[in-house]
Amino acid sequence: MQTILNFLIKHNHWFLFILLEGISFVLIVSFNNYQNAAMFTSANSIAGNMYETLSDIDRYFGLKSENDALVEQNAVLLNEIQALKEELKGYQDSTMLAEHVAIAGGRQGYRYMSARVVNSSYNKVDNYMTLDKGAAQGVKPEMGVIGKDGVVGIIYQTSDNFSLVIPLLNSKSNINCRVKGTGSYSALHWEGGDARYSYLIDLPRYAVFEKGDTVVTSGFSSIFPADIPVGVIDYLEDSKDGLFYRARVELFVDFTNIGNVFIIGNDGKEEQSELEKKGEKE
Amino acid sequence: MTSNTLIRTRNFAMLALVQVLIFSQIHLFGYATACVYLIFLLKLPRHTSQNELLVWSFLFGLTVDIFCNTPGLNAAAATAMGFIRNTILAIFTHKGLPDDFVPGARSLKWGGYIVYSLACIGIFYTVLFILELFTISYASELFLSVTSSTLLTMLFVTVIECFSRTR
Repeated sequence: MQTILNFLIKHNHWFLFILLEGISFVLIVSFNNYQNAAMFTSANSIAGNMYETLSDIDRYFGLKSENDALVEQNAVLLNEIQALKEELKGYQDSTMLAEHVAIAGGRQGYRYMSARVVNSSYNKVDNYMTLDKGAAQGVKPEMGVIGKDGVVGIIYQTSDNFSLVIPLLNSKSNINCRVKGTGSYSALHWEGGDARYSYLIDLPRYAVFEKGDTVVTSGFSSIFPADIPVGVIDYLEDSKDGLFYRARVELFVDFTNIGNVFIIGNDGKEEQSELEKKGEKE
Repeated sequence: MTSNTLIRTRNFAMLALVQVLIFSQIHLFGYATACVYLIFLLKLPRHTSQNELLVWSFLFGLTVDIFCNTPGLNAAAATAMGFIRNTILAIFTHKGLPDDFVPGARSLKWGGYIVYSLACIGIFYTVLFILELFTISYASELFLSVTSSTLLTMLFVTVIECFSRTR
Protein backbone atom coordinates (compact mmCIF):
# COMPACT_ATOMS: atom_id res chain seq x y z
CA MET A 1 0.00 0.00 0.00
CA GLN A 2 2.75 2.40 1.06
CA THR A 3 4.67 1.65 -2.10
CA ILE A 4 1.68 2.35 -4.28
CA LEU A 5 1.03 5.64 -2.49
CA ASN A 6 4.66 6.65 -2.82
CA PHE A 7 4.56 5.81 -6.49
CA LEU A 8 1.44 7.92 -7.00
CA ILE A 9 2.89 10.90 -5.10
CA LYS A 10 6.16 10.70 -6.98
CA HIS A 11 4.40 10.72 -10.31
CA ASN A 12 1.66 13.21 -9.47
CA HIS A 13 2.52 15.34 -12.50
CA TRP A 14 1.21 12.53 -14.67
CA PHE A 15 -2.22 13.05 -13.21
CA LEU A 16 -2.05 16.80 -13.66
CA PHE A 17 -0.97 16.24 -17.25
CA ILE A 18 -3.87 13.90 -17.92
CA LEU A 19 -6.29 16.28 -16.20
CA LEU A 20 -5.17 19.33 -18.22
CA GLU A 21 -5.18 17.43 -21.51
CA GLY A 22 -8.65 16.17 -20.54
CA ILE A 23 -9.90 19.72 -20.07
CA SER A 24 -8.41 20.72 -23.44
CA PHE A 25 -10.16 17.88 -25.21
CA VAL A 26 -13.47 18.68 -23.55
CA LEU A 27 -13.04 22.25 -24.83
CA ILE A 28 -12.20 21.10 -28.34
CA VAL A 29 -15.15 18.74 -28.52
CA SER A 30 -17.69 20.95 -26.75
CA PHE A 31 -16.92 23.95 -28.94
CA ASN A 32 -18.06 21.94 -31.91
CA ASN A 33 -21.29 20.74 -30.37
CA TYR A 34 -22.27 23.03 -27.58
CA GLN A 35 -23.90 26.30 -28.45
CA ASN A 36 -23.00 28.32 -25.35
CA ALA A 37 -19.25 28.09 -25.54
CA ALA A 38 -18.94 31.75 -26.56
CA MET A 39 -17.05 32.47 -23.35
CA PHE A 40 -14.01 30.66 -24.68
CA THR A 41 -13.95 32.49 -28.01
CA SER A 42 -13.11 35.99 -29.15
CA ALA A 43 -16.82 36.81 -28.81
CA ASN A 44 -16.29 37.23 -25.06
CA SER A 45 -16.22 40.82 -23.89
CA ILE A 46 -12.50 41.16 -23.06
CA ALA A 47 -11.19 39.71 -26.29
CA GLY A 48 -13.99 41.34 -28.27
CA ASN A 49 -13.29 44.82 -26.98
CA MET A 50 -9.58 44.41 -27.53
CA TYR A 51 -10.06 43.34 -31.13
CA GLU A 52 -12.52 46.17 -31.63
CA THR A 53 -9.95 48.77 -30.54
CA LEU A 54 -7.36 47.19 -32.78
CA SER A 55 -9.67 47.14 -35.76
CA ASP A 56 -10.59 50.79 -35.09
CA ILE A 57 -6.95 51.70 -35.50
CA ASP A 58 -6.58 49.42 -38.48
CA ARG A 59 -9.68 50.82 -40.15
CA TYR A 60 -8.40 54.36 -39.90
CA PHE A 61 -5.73 53.55 -42.46
CA GLY A 62 -8.24 52.05 -44.84
CA LEU A 63 -10.73 54.92 -44.77
CA LYS A 64 -9.96 56.15 -48.24
CA SER A 65 -10.45 52.86 -50.05
CA GLU A 66 -13.50 52.13 -47.89
CA ASN A 67 -14.98 55.46 -48.95
CA ASP A 68 -14.35 54.73 -52.59
CA ALA A 69 -16.05 51.38 -52.25
CA LEU A 70 -19.07 52.96 -50.56
CA VAL A 71 -19.41 55.61 -53.22
CA GLU A 72 -19.25 52.93 -55.86
CA GLN A 73 -21.87 50.85 -54.09
CA ASN A 74 -24.08 53.92 -53.72
CA ALA A 75 -23.94 54.48 -57.44
CA VAL A 76 -24.91 50.89 -58.13
CA LEU A 77 -27.82 51.10 -55.70
CA LEU A 78 -29.03 54.38 -57.20
CA ASN A 79 -28.99 52.81 -60.64
CA GLU A 80 -30.94 49.87 -59.34
CA ILE A 81 -33.56 52.13 -57.76
CA GLN A 82 -33.92 53.93 -61.04
CA ALA A 83 -34.36 50.70 -62.96
CA LEU A 84 -36.93 49.43 -60.47
CA LYS A 85 -38.88 52.69 -60.63
CA GLU A 86 -39.09 52.42 -64.38
CA GLU A 87 -40.26 48.86 -64.12
CA LEU A 88 -42.86 49.87 -61.56
CA LYS A 89 -44.17 52.48 -63.99
CA GLY A 90 -44.85 49.73 -66.47
CA TYR A 91 -47.01 47.95 -63.94
CA GLN A 92 -48.85 51.08 -62.91
CA ASP A 93 -51.98 50.38 -64.90
CA SER A 94 -51.93 46.67 -64.48
CA THR A 95 -54.59 45.09 -62.32
CA MET A 96 -51.93 42.64 -61.20
CA LEU A 97 -50.04 45.37 -59.37
CA ALA A 98 -51.68 45.23 -55.96
CA GLU A 99 -51.34 41.50 -55.71
CA HIS A 100 -47.82 41.49 -57.10
CA VAL A 101 -46.43 43.99 -54.64
CA ALA A 102 -48.27 42.41 -51.73
CA ILE A 103 -46.70 39.03 -52.44
CA ALA A 104 -43.19 40.39 -52.81
CA GLY A 105 -43.36 42.55 -49.71
CA GLY A 106 -45.36 40.44 -47.33
CA ARG A 107 -44.09 36.94 -47.84
CA GLN A 108 -40.74 37.24 -46.18
CA GLY A 109 -39.50 40.29 -44.37
CA TYR A 110 -35.73 40.41 -44.61
CA ARG A 111 -34.08 43.13 -42.56
CA TYR A 112 -30.50 44.28 -43.03
CA MET A 113 -28.23 45.46 -40.24
CA SER A 114 -24.71 46.69 -40.82
CA ALA A 115 -21.87 45.33 -38.69
CA ARG A 116 -18.13 45.47 -38.61
CA VAL A 117 -15.72 42.56 -38.63
CA VAL A 118 -13.42 42.98 -35.64
CA ASN A 119 -11.50 39.72 -35.98
CA SER A 120 -11.23 37.02 -38.61
CA SER A 121 -8.97 34.23 -39.79
CA TYR A 122 -8.65 32.38 -43.09
CA ASN A 123 -5.78 29.95 -42.74
CA LYS A 124 -7.25 27.25 -40.53
CA VAL A 125 -9.57 24.35 -41.31
CA ASP A 126 -12.29 25.93 -39.16
CA ASN A 127 -12.15 29.68 -39.43
CA TYR A 128 -14.31 32.07 -37.49
CA MET A 129 -15.11 35.75 -37.64
CA THR A 130 -16.15 38.13 -34.86
CA LEU A 131 -18.65 40.95 -35.47
CA ASP A 132 -19.27 44.01 -33.29
CA LYS A 133 -23.04 43.46 -32.98
CA GLY A 134 -24.56 40.99 -30.56
CA ALA A 135 -27.71 39.84 -28.81
CA ALA A 136 -28.31 43.33 -27.39
CA GLN A 137 -28.60 44.66 -30.97
CA GLY A 138 -30.97 41.90 -31.96
CA VAL A 139 -28.54 39.46 -33.55
CA LYS A 140 -29.53 35.82 -33.17
CA PRO A 141 -27.78 32.58 -34.11
CA GLU A 142 -28.50 31.35 -37.65
CA MET A 143 -28.88 34.80 -39.18
CA GLY A 144 -27.16 35.24 -42.52
CA VAL A 145 -24.14 37.50 -43.06
CA ILE A 146 -23.28 39.05 -46.42
CA GLY A 147 -20.61 41.47 -47.61
CA LYS A 148 -20.95 43.94 -50.44
CA ASP A 149 -19.68 41.32 -52.89
CA GLY A 150 -21.70 38.35 -51.70
CA VAL A 151 -22.34 35.74 -49.04
CA VAL A 152 -19.98 35.71 -46.05
CA GLY A 153 -21.45 33.19 -43.62
CA ILE A 154 -23.94 32.45 -40.87
CA ILE A 155 -24.07 33.67 -37.24
CA TYR A 156 -23.06 30.83 -34.93
CA GLN A 157 -23.05 32.22 -31.41
CA THR A 158 -23.81 35.59 -29.85
CA SER A 159 -22.79 37.32 -26.65
CA ASP A 160 -24.24 40.64 -25.48
CA ASN A 161 -22.30 42.89 -27.83
CA PHE A 162 -20.43 40.55 -30.14
CA SER A 163 -21.26 37.63 -32.34
CA LEU A 164 -19.29 34.78 -33.85
CA VAL A 165 -19.76 33.91 -37.53
CA ILE A 166 -19.12 30.62 -39.31
CA PRO A 167 -17.87 32.00 -42.63
CA LEU A 168 -17.81 30.03 -45.87
CA LEU A 169 -14.23 29.17 -44.90
CA ASN A 170 -15.20 26.63 -42.25
CA SER A 171 -15.60 22.89 -42.68
CA LYS A 172 -18.91 23.18 -40.83
CA SER A 173 -20.26 25.74 -43.31
CA ASN A 174 -23.00 24.27 -45.46
CA ILE A 175 -24.99 26.69 -47.59
CA ASN A 176 -27.42 25.65 -50.25
CA CYS A 177 -26.58 27.23 -53.60
CA ARG A 178 -27.92 27.33 -57.11
CA VAL A 179 -26.18 27.82 -60.43
CA LYS A 180 -27.73 31.00 -61.80
CA GLY A 181 -29.88 30.52 -64.85
CA THR A 182 -30.29 26.78 -64.24
CA GLY A 183 -32.26 24.73 -61.77
CA SER A 184 -29.36 22.80 -60.26
CA TYR A 185 -28.93 23.02 -56.51
CA SER A 186 -26.06 21.87 -54.36
CA ALA A 187 -24.47 22.52 -50.98
CA LEU A 188 -21.29 24.60 -50.83
CA HIS A 189 -18.44 23.00 -48.86
CA TRP A 190 -15.05 24.33 -47.95
CA GLU A 191 -12.21 21.82 -47.84
CA GLY A 192 -9.46 23.86 -46.25
CA GLY A 193 -6.48 25.34 -48.04
CA ASP A 194 -6.87 28.30 -50.37
CA ALA A 195 -9.18 31.00 -49.00
CA ARG A 196 -10.36 31.94 -52.50
CA TYR A 197 -12.06 28.67 -53.41
CA SER A 198 -14.91 26.52 -52.15
CA TYR A 199 -16.64 23.49 -53.67
CA LEU A 200 -20.09 22.47 -54.87
CA ILE A 201 -19.79 18.72 -54.38
CA ASP A 202 -22.99 17.14 -55.60
CA LEU A 203 -24.22 18.90 -58.72
CA PRO A 204 -26.52 16.58 -60.67
CA ARG A 205 -25.05 15.26 -63.92
CA TYR A 206 -28.06 16.06 -66.04
CA ALA A 207 -27.79 19.75 -65.24
CA VAL A 208 -26.62 22.13 -67.94
CA PHE A 209 -24.00 24.60 -66.88
CA GLU A 210 -20.42 25.46 -67.62
CA LYS A 211 -17.30 27.15 -66.41
CA GLY A 212 -17.91 30.83 -65.73
CA ASP A 213 -21.49 30.43 -64.51
CA THR A 214 -22.41 32.42 -61.42
CA VAL A 215 -23.36 30.62 -58.21
CA VAL A 216 -26.05 32.26 -56.04
CA THR A 217 -27.97 31.36 -52.87
CA SER A 218 -30.97 29.12 -53.40
CA GLY A 219 -33.27 30.92 -50.97
CA PHE A 220 -34.52 27.57 -49.64
CA SER A 221 -33.14 27.86 -46.14
CA SER A 222 -34.79 31.20 -45.22
CA ILE A 223 -31.44 32.33 -43.86
CA PHE A 224 -30.52 34.10 -47.09
CA PRO A 225 -32.89 35.61 -49.63
CA ALA A 226 -32.62 33.96 -53.03
CA ASP A 227 -30.08 35.10 -55.65
CA ILE A 228 -27.39 36.60 -53.45
CA PRO A 229 -24.11 36.08 -55.33
CA VAL A 230 -21.61 33.57 -53.93
CA GLY A 231 -18.99 33.03 -56.60
CA VAL A 232 -18.12 31.85 -60.11
CA ILE A 233 -17.58 28.25 -61.21
CA ASP A 234 -13.96 28.11 -62.18
CA TYR A 235 -13.19 24.41 -62.54
CA LEU A 236 -15.39 21.36 -63.16
CA GLU A 237 -14.64 17.68 -62.57
CA ASP A 238 -16.39 14.38 -61.78
CA SER A 239 -17.03 13.59 -58.15
CA LYS A 240 -15.19 10.63 -56.64
CA ASP A 241 -18.03 8.18 -57.16
CA GLY A 242 -18.73 9.56 -60.63
CA LEU A 243 -22.39 10.21 -59.88
CA PHE A 244 -22.17 13.97 -59.62
CA TYR A 245 -20.17 16.93 -60.83
CA ARG A 246 -17.81 18.65 -58.48
CA ALA A 247 -17.30 22.34 -59.14
CA ARG A 248 -14.64 24.60 -57.76
CA VAL A 249 -16.15 28.00 -57.03
CA GLU A 250 -14.10 31.15 -56.91
CA LEU A 251 -15.68 33.17 -54.09
CA PHE A 252 -16.66 36.80 -54.67
CA VAL A 253 -15.88 37.83 -51.10
CA ASP A 254 -12.21 38.42 -50.34
CA PHE A 255 -11.90 36.85 -46.90
CA THR A 256 -8.34 38.03 -46.45
CA ASN A 257 -9.54 41.63 -46.42
CA ILE A 258 -13.02 42.11 -45.07
CA GLY A 259 -14.34 45.11 -43.14
CA ASN A 260 -18.05 45.89 -43.26
CA VAL A 261 -20.78 43.28 -43.53
CA PHE A 262 -24.57 43.13 -43.31
CA ILE A 263 -26.49 40.82 -41.01
CA ILE A 264 -29.74 39.58 -42.49
CA GLY A 265 -32.65 39.01 -40.17
CA ASN A 266 -35.74 37.22 -41.42
CA ASP A 267 -39.01 37.90 -39.64
CA GLY A 268 -40.82 35.15 -41.46
CA LYS A 269 -38.18 32.57 -40.69
CA GLU A 270 -39.70 31.05 -37.57
CA GLU A 271 -42.96 30.59 -39.37
CA GLN A 272 -41.21 28.80 -42.21
CA SER A 273 -39.11 26.51 -40.03
CA GLU A 274 -42.10 25.68 -37.85
CA LEU A 275 -44.05 24.72 -40.91
CA GLU A 276 -41.17 22.60 -42.19
CA LYS A 277 -40.86 20.82 -38.84
CA LYS A 278 -44.56 20.10 -38.83
CA GLY A 279 -44.24 18.60 -42.28
CA GLU A 280 -41.36 16.37 -41.23
CA LYS A 281 -43.30 15.00 -38.30
CA GLU A 282 -46.29 13.97 -40.30
CA MET B 1 10.09 34.47 -5.08
CA THR B 2 7.21 36.95 -5.20
CA SER B 3 9.07 39.35 -7.47
CA ASN B 4 9.96 36.37 -9.61
CA THR B 5 6.28 35.51 -10.03
CA LEU B 6 5.49 39.15 -10.80
CA ILE B 7 8.14 39.33 -13.51
CA ARG B 8 6.87 36.06 -14.91
CA THR B 9 3.28 37.33 -14.99
CA ARG B 10 4.43 40.51 -16.74
CA ASN B 11 6.32 38.50 -19.33
CA PHE B 12 3.26 36.31 -19.76
CA ALA B 13 0.99 39.29 -20.45
CA MET B 14 3.45 40.95 -22.83
CA LEU B 15 4.14 37.81 -24.82
CA ALA B 16 0.43 36.97 -24.98
CA LEU B 17 -0.34 40.43 -26.39
CA VAL B 18 2.43 40.25 -28.97
CA GLN B 19 1.38 36.74 -29.94
CA VAL B 20 -2.31 37.52 -30.32
CA LEU B 21 -2.04 40.96 -31.94
CA ILE B 22 0.91 40.39 -34.24
CA PHE B 23 2.14 36.84 -34.73
CA SER B 24 -1.25 35.11 -34.83
CA GLN B 25 -2.26 37.46 -37.66
CA ILE B 26 0.67 36.48 -39.87
CA HIS B 27 0.27 33.39 -42.01
CA LEU B 28 3.08 32.68 -44.43
CA PHE B 29 2.05 30.79 -47.59
CA GLY B 30 -1.11 29.62 -45.83
CA TYR B 31 0.84 27.05 -43.84
CA ALA B 32 3.23 28.65 -41.39
CA THR B 33 2.07 30.50 -38.28
CA ALA B 34 4.61 31.43 -35.62
CA CYS B 35 3.81 30.67 -31.97
CA VAL B 36 6.35 32.95 -30.35
CA TYR B 37 4.73 32.55 -26.94
CA LEU B 38 6.46 29.17 -26.66
CA ILE B 39 9.62 31.07 -25.78
CA PHE B 40 8.06 31.69 -22.37
CA LEU B 41 7.91 27.94 -21.73
CA LEU B 42 11.37 27.33 -23.22
CA LYS B 43 12.87 29.92 -20.88
CA LEU B 44 11.48 28.69 -17.57
CA PRO B 45 14.40 27.70 -15.28
CA ARG B 46 15.71 24.14 -15.28
CA HIS B 47 14.31 23.26 -11.88
CA THR B 48 10.79 24.51 -12.45
CA SER B 49 8.67 21.71 -11.07
CA GLN B 50 6.85 19.52 -13.53
CA ASN B 51 3.48 20.62 -12.13
CA GLU B 52 4.26 24.32 -12.37
CA LEU B 53 5.45 23.85 -15.93
CA LEU B 54 2.21 22.09 -16.86
CA VAL B 55 0.01 24.79 -15.33
CA TRP B 56 1.90 27.62 -17.08
CA SER B 57 1.73 25.83 -20.44
CA PHE B 58 -1.97 25.12 -20.09
CA LEU B 59 -2.82 28.70 -19.07
CA PHE B 60 -0.78 30.18 -21.89
CA GLY B 61 -2.27 27.84 -24.46
CA LEU B 62 -5.79 28.59 -23.26
CA THR B 63 -5.20 32.37 -23.37
CA VAL B 64 -4.05 32.17 -26.98
CA ASP B 65 -6.96 29.84 -27.78
CA ILE B 66 -9.54 32.29 -26.48
CA PHE B 67 -8.26 35.02 -28.74
CA CYS B 68 -7.83 32.81 -31.80
CA ASN B 69 -11.17 30.95 -31.60
CA THR B 70 -9.53 27.56 -31.24
CA PRO B 71 -10.69 26.48 -27.76
CA GLY B 72 -8.50 23.67 -26.44
CA LEU B 73 -6.15 23.29 -29.42
CA ASN B 74 -3.22 25.41 -28.24
CA ALA B 75 -3.88 24.39 -24.65
CA ALA B 76 -3.57 20.70 -25.48
CA ALA B 77 -0.45 21.19 -27.60
CA ALA B 78 1.30 23.48 -25.11
CA THR B 79 0.52 21.14 -22.22
CA ALA B 80 2.06 18.27 -24.16
CA MET B 81 5.16 20.36 -24.75
CA GLY B 82 5.32 21.42 -21.09
CA PHE B 83 5.09 17.79 -20.07
CA ILE B 84 8.08 16.70 -22.12
CA ARG B 85 10.23 19.84 -21.83
CA ASN B 86 12.19 18.85 -18.72
CA THR B 87 13.01 15.46 -20.20
CA ILE B 88 14.41 17.06 -23.36
CA LEU B 89 16.26 19.70 -21.35
CA ALA B 90 17.90 16.98 -19.23
CA ILE B 91 19.60 15.63 -22.38
CA PHE B 92 21.34 18.96 -22.97
CA THR B 93 22.30 19.63 -19.35
CA HIS B 94 26.04 19.20 -18.77
CA LYS B 95 28.18 19.29 -15.65
CA GLY B 96 29.59 22.78 -15.95
CA LEU B 97 26.19 24.37 -15.43
CA PRO B 98 24.92 25.90 -12.19
CA ASP B 99 22.21 23.94 -10.44
CA ASP B 100 19.21 25.98 -11.57
CA PHE B 101 19.98 27.67 -14.87
CA VAL B 102 17.77 29.40 -17.43
CA PRO B 103 17.96 27.59 -20.79
CA GLY B 104 19.56 29.87 -23.36
CA ALA B 105 22.41 30.31 -25.81
CA ARG B 106 24.83 31.12 -23.00
CA SER B 107 24.02 28.17 -20.74
CA LEU B 108 23.43 25.49 -23.37
CA LYS B 109 25.65 26.96 -26.14
CA TRP B 110 24.00 27.90 -29.42
CA GLY B 111 23.92 24.36 -30.77
CA GLY B 112 22.33 22.90 -27.67
CA TYR B 113 19.78 25.65 -27.34
CA ILE B 114 18.70 25.42 -30.97
CA VAL B 115 18.30 21.65 -30.93
CA TYR B 116 16.47 21.81 -27.58
CA SER B 117 14.09 24.50 -28.91
CA LEU B 118 13.56 22.69 -32.20
CA ALA B 119 12.60 19.49 -30.41
CA CYS B 120 10.14 21.25 -28.10
CA ILE B 121 8.57 23.39 -30.84
CA GLY B 122 8.37 20.40 -33.18
CA ILE B 123 6.43 18.41 -30.59
CA PHE B 124 4.09 21.35 -29.99
CA TYR B 125 3.22 21.75 -33.68
CA THR B 126 2.89 18.03 -34.29
CA VAL B 127 0.24 17.79 -31.56
CA LEU B 128 -1.40 21.04 -32.66
CA PHE B 129 -1.81 20.16 -36.32
CA ILE B 130 -2.82 16.56 -35.69
CA LEU B 131 -5.61 17.86 -33.45
CA GLU B 132 -6.61 20.59 -35.89
CA LEU B 133 -6.71 18.29 -38.91
CA PHE B 134 -8.37 15.54 -36.92
CA THR B 135 -11.19 15.03 -39.37
CA ILE B 136 -9.42 15.97 -42.60
CA SER B 137 -6.13 14.12 -42.55
CA TYR B 138 -3.72 14.93 -45.33
CA ALA B 139 -0.30 13.60 -44.37
CA SER B 140 1.64 15.82 -46.77
CA GLU B 141 -0.18 18.95 -45.69
CA LEU B 142 0.38 18.02 -42.06
CA PHE B 143 4.09 17.57 -42.63
CA LEU B 144 4.34 20.85 -44.52
CA SER B 145 2.47 22.77 -41.81
CA VAL B 146 4.50 21.28 -38.96
CA THR B 147 7.85 21.83 -40.66
CA SER B 148 7.24 25.36 -41.92
CA SER B 149 5.68 26.56 -38.67
CA THR B 150 8.44 25.01 -36.57
CA LEU B 151 11.14 26.65 -38.67
CA LEU B 152 9.39 30.02 -38.66
CA THR B 153 8.96 29.97 -34.87
CA MET B 154 12.56 28.82 -34.50
CA LEU B 155 13.69 31.82 -36.54
CA PHE B 156 11.92 34.22 -34.20
CA VAL B 157 13.15 32.37 -31.11
CA THR B 158 16.73 32.67 -32.40
CA VAL B 159 16.36 36.36 -33.24
CA ILE B 160 14.90 37.10 -29.81
CA GLU B 161 17.72 35.12 -28.19
CA CYS B 162 20.30 37.25 -30.04
CA PHE B 163 18.85 40.46 -28.63
CA SER B 164 17.97 39.18 -25.19
CA ARG B 165 19.91 40.78 -22.32
CA THR B 166 19.65 37.97 -19.84
CA ARG B 167 21.20 35.23 -21.86
